[in-house]
Amino acid sequence: MSKRVLEILGERFGHDVLETHSQFGDDTAVVNPARWLEIATFLRDDSRCAMNMFVDITAVDYLGRQTPRFEVVMHLRSLERGHRVRLKARVGDEDGQNAEIDSVVSVWKGANWFEREAFDMFGVVFRGHPDLRRLLMYPEFVGYPLRKDYPADKIQPLVEFRNVPGKLPPFGPDEGMSFGRQTHDYRRDEPGGEAN
Amino acid sequence: MATIKIDGREIPFEQGDTIIRAAHRAGIDIPHYCWHPGLSVAANCRMCLVEVLPPPGRPAMQLEILQWDAAKGDYVSARKPKLIPACQQGCAPGMEVLSQTSEHVEEARSAVQELLLLNHPVDCPICDQAGECRLQDYWLEHQRTGKRMHQEVVHKPKAVVFGPTIVYDAERCIVCTRCVRFCEEVAHDPVLSVSQRGNVNEIVISPGKQLDHDYTLMTEHVCPVGALTSVDFRFKARVWFLRSARTVCQGCATGCNAYLDYDPRNNTPCRHRPRDNEQVNKYWMCDEGMLSYKRAIENRLLTALVGGEDATIEDALDAVKEQLAGFGDDASRVAVVLSAQHSNEDNFTLLSLARTFVGAKNLYVSGRPLGRGDKILMSEDKNPNTRGVMQLAGSLAPKPIALLLDAVKAGKYSFVIALGAELEVDEQEALGVLSKLKGLVTIASHDGPLVRAAHVALPAMAWAETDGTFVNRQGLAQRSEPALTPRGDATAGWDLVTRLGKKLGYAMTFKSLADVRRAISAETRTDSGANGASGAARTDADRTATKPEVSV
Amino acid sequence: MEPLDRDLEEGLLELPSEPMMLNMGPSHPAMHGTVRIVLELSGEQILKADVQIGYLHRGFEKMCERGTWSQVFPYVDRCNYVSPMLNNVGYALAVEKMLGVTVPERCQYYRVVLGELARLCDHMICSGAMCMELGAFTPFLYYARARENIWDIFEEETGARVTHSFGRVGGMASPPTKYFKDMVRAAVPRVIALIVEGEKMLLKNRIFLDRLEGVGVMSKEDALALGWTGVVLRASGVPYDVRKAHPYMVYDRMDFDVPVGTAGDNYDRFMCRQEEIRQSARIIEQALAQMPDDGPINIDDPRVVMPPKNDVYTTIEATIQHFKIVMEGLKVPAGECYSYTEAGNGELGFYLVSDGSGTPFRVRIRPPCFASTQGLEQLIKGAMIPDVVPTFGSLNMIGGECDH
Repeated sequence: MSKRVLEILGERFGHDVLETHSQFGDDTAVVNPARWLEIATFLRDDSRCAMNMFVDITAVDYLGRQTPRFEVVMHLRSLERGHRVRLKARVGDEDGQNAEIDSVVSVWKGANWFEREAFDMFGVVFRGHPDLRRLLMYPEFVGYPLRKDYPADKIQPLVEFRNVPGKLPPFGPDEGMSFGRQTHDYRRDEPGGEAN
Repeated sequence: MATIKIDGREIPFEQGDTIIRAAHRAGIDIPHYCWHPGLSVAANCRMCLVEVLPPPGRPAMQLEILQWDAAKGDYVSARKPKLIPACQQGCAPGMEVLSQTSEHVEEARSAVQELLLLNHPVDCPICDQAGECRLQDYWLEHQRTGKRMHQEVVHKPKAVVFGPTIVYDAERCIVCTRCVRFCEEVAHDPVLSVSQRGNVNEIVISPGKQLDHDYTLMTEHVCPVGALTSVDFRFKARVWFLRSARTVCQGCATGCNAYLDYDPRNNTPCRHRPRDNEQVNKYWMCDEGMLSYKRAIENRLLTALVGGEDATIEDALDAVKEQLAGFGDDASRVAVVLSAQHSNEDNFTLLSLARTFVGAKNLYVSGRPLGRGDKILMSEDKNPNTRGVMQLAGSLAPKPIALLLDAVKAGKYSFVIALGAELEVDEQEALGVLSKLKGLVTIASHDGPLVRAAHVALPAMAWAETDGTFVNRQGLAQRSEPALTPRGDATAGWDLVTRLGKKLGYAMTFKSLADVRRAISAETRTDSGANGASGAARTDADRTATKPEVSV
Repeated sequence: MEPLDRDLEEGLLELPSEPMMLNMGPSHPAMHGTVRIVLELSGEQILKADVQIGYLHRGFEKMCERGTWSQVFPYVDRCNYVSPMLNNVGYALAVEKMLGVTVPERCQYYRVVLGELARLCDHMICSGAMCMELGAFTPFLYYARARENIWDIFEEETGARVTHSFGRVGGMASPPTKYFKDMVRAAVPRVIALIVEGEKMLLKNRIFLDRLEGVGVMSKEDALALGWTGVVLRASGVPYDVRKAHPYMVYDRMDFDVPVGTAGDNYDRFMCRQEEIRQSARIIEQALAQMPDDGPINIDDPRVVMPPKNDVYTTIEATIQHFKIVMEGLKVPAGECYSYTEAGNGELGFYLVSDGSGTPFRVRIRPPCFASTQGLEQLIKGAMIPDVVPTFGSLNMIGGECDH
């Protein structure tokens, strides 16, 4: 049943659908990251696909096996039609720079935390995300843990206790941190506008 | 190109190839125990049996067998194709071989594996071969069933000492005779042979002799099971914790390609294994080379020494500046000693300091003294990079150390900048002579006479910790990968030379290994072709001029 | 406050009106499994809420990459630790999907029964904890006592009450005990009786109803867009249950209903859970009736299943089999797959990437309560602080699963 989704995608987006497969019964399409948002919107709005259930967004690090290095993986489901699809896009170079892709929060609200987690764990930046900061790790964490070049036993630098002069705890979510709000500035106006 | 077909895939073969050799070349694995690309064919394990389809127009060779018919509950006569050992059957153009796609072959492999394991002791937990054992791998791939024999297994001698380096366990042995053939054909010392018959077969040493030729550790290497174990490695480490780095043996000028297996958890080297290289060492390494992995950590210079006392590298470099004051005034009073023990990169950096900046023309080369060689693999020159040094220096041919000592005695030099620690002359005499110098600095990875004689010694990374190029006696430049993380204060040799040069006021700009390598290839391109020292093969003229001395 | 002797205009003498920041958690009796909510309050009304999770993040996904496929089971247990069996089954099914094997029927029934028992625990504790935080401590104790009955069964079958790591790729760790069916048939009615007792205290209680009805309303479209699944989605009116929509194992042979709510408020979520408890009991009853009493539990593939220990000590073949599976890990064909089951909180998904070896390349757990907790901000904005308690309780956020 989901085979149709792959066909519809192929018809509509042609060369931007780089590969498709249905290994183990899961329909998968690898797409061009530049058209990520467009494809996501299309999948939600097109009545034949009707992907209104957001399931999951994550990333996988294929360091050393594939360039670009990261694969952003999104799973979607349709309530009315019951079919599922997996969308993948490859971003990022060997050092982990330029791992950027559009955020689909404007399409499904549920992508919010999932994208934050992917950013937290891999350093993949989602352009247009309303509030891209770390989710599972604390804001002063150095590095991106689920990358293959992050050793599992790495020791983090000690963080100074937050000290806002003239104020007692509780501190707001971004008060007292040694360096501003950890939101990623996806507009990249200034060189220091990146988080970590 | 003539081809045969294996499982429907066409692969080319060369004149005289057997099926298994042609498959090996193409990267197809036909399971085998007793075959080895470097030894003669014995065909006693029967694991490589394959089905060869008959040539067009001829009937297949069939065997009359009795097959169990479950429906009838009795044995019935049947025929099945006769399988052929792939290690013995020569290739003929158009031959069609069925390996994985034939059910008879699968049945045969399962049966052979079952029979091999029939009397095998339950030794996996204590056997060194676990993790790289063919019996384990082929059981999982081809047999996957239990044993059908319920009697006591045959017991044979265990832990029989064959020699100072090898221990034999007869119960684990599958009598593939690889060790017997190796000792006879490659080591030219046929001291092992098979004794007894049937299932009490075992390997024995000729009476009154020991397994003590120069290649005994190779018998352990060829043994596909854990029957032969080396005294050096047994019970030391489990192979799945080890990682392998592709290195070059530092024992002598043959430059055998090796794998250095190290344990990354505690940064120790555990053993050497030979790496296949048709041109250099075929499939073998000598015992001396196999045991030379210990040199990665033994006898190392790990901190800088100033006047024999430990110091930091920064302090040592300051001390060098002092010691070598007045160094740049007269280039003819400076001697530079290159090292045949260090890589091309380290030597080149020192050479460029000497030639480009200081303008010194007096080059010498240090290294280990000559040792014992043989016609099989071992070279008398116990330094891995003699030719490399000679090639890099080009027209300024470096002279041996003895001449340096004479010159120092004659008062010709005041300063010596050296690489390496070894001197091939008597230490006491050398110490006496070299103490006359105003300044002697050496950059070395190990402790040695030159380090002890030096006023300042800087710790360099050993071959196992850094990427290096070594040119062997045939003139082949080979790259050795890093394995261990540097111990102590050891820094890359080329880096130390660069910092030394900067400290003395010269504008040396090598920031990375890639920079040094680029400089070397730039240098060799401007020189005539005969002096090419880094990267790939050299001109054909050189290759024929230097006939390989390997006779394996 | 400005001093009174200064000349000021009328408009400037006002009370300071910056919103108050209140920090709820991470160490808070009502914050299940450590969550921090930073509230910006105006009086008692919440203007903004920032839900911060991650206090129980243990690097589960990174750890999975450092072991073998079967070493993931203890990690998975500790994700949703109130219903660990459902996690075990979910992961085992994911790996089996990649291997292309199906476990024998007896094992499927066994998994279904144990899974539904775990679901009973999950729902009971969620309801009980929510009531306790509202002040009704007794139902929580009743439900905890009911859970003891179920834990006794687990202890008998698996050896542990909570994190039993009982699932295996290709089957279960050991076959059902002799009195398994009897124990379950005896325990389930007792559990239902205690559920009814608890409900009697709650469902006619004015305070309880006032605090739950109309509070924490989530519309159907929002719930779908937020990625909600499970009870919280069904309470908003969407009849989506993985067991009915994509039946797996023997759920297609079971006859059960899926309770669906209408208003999408806390009360509906609570009632859906209670009704689901009864449906789970129905499934258990049917499964026990249909489950064969003998037959293999594990599939018969030496590449995946461990040999009996006696053989390992005495024969070389079993030693090799044991060695290969333990040291190198069972080899899963290269590729990726997404497998989903209905866990206590909704669609628990496992996205596995394999490179053909015995070590997983990537194990991604798609936690259902991660998506649910994402919606919390929307639910409590505009509500009052006391509303946070039942709202958060009714979402059933399990810290281990949300933070993985």
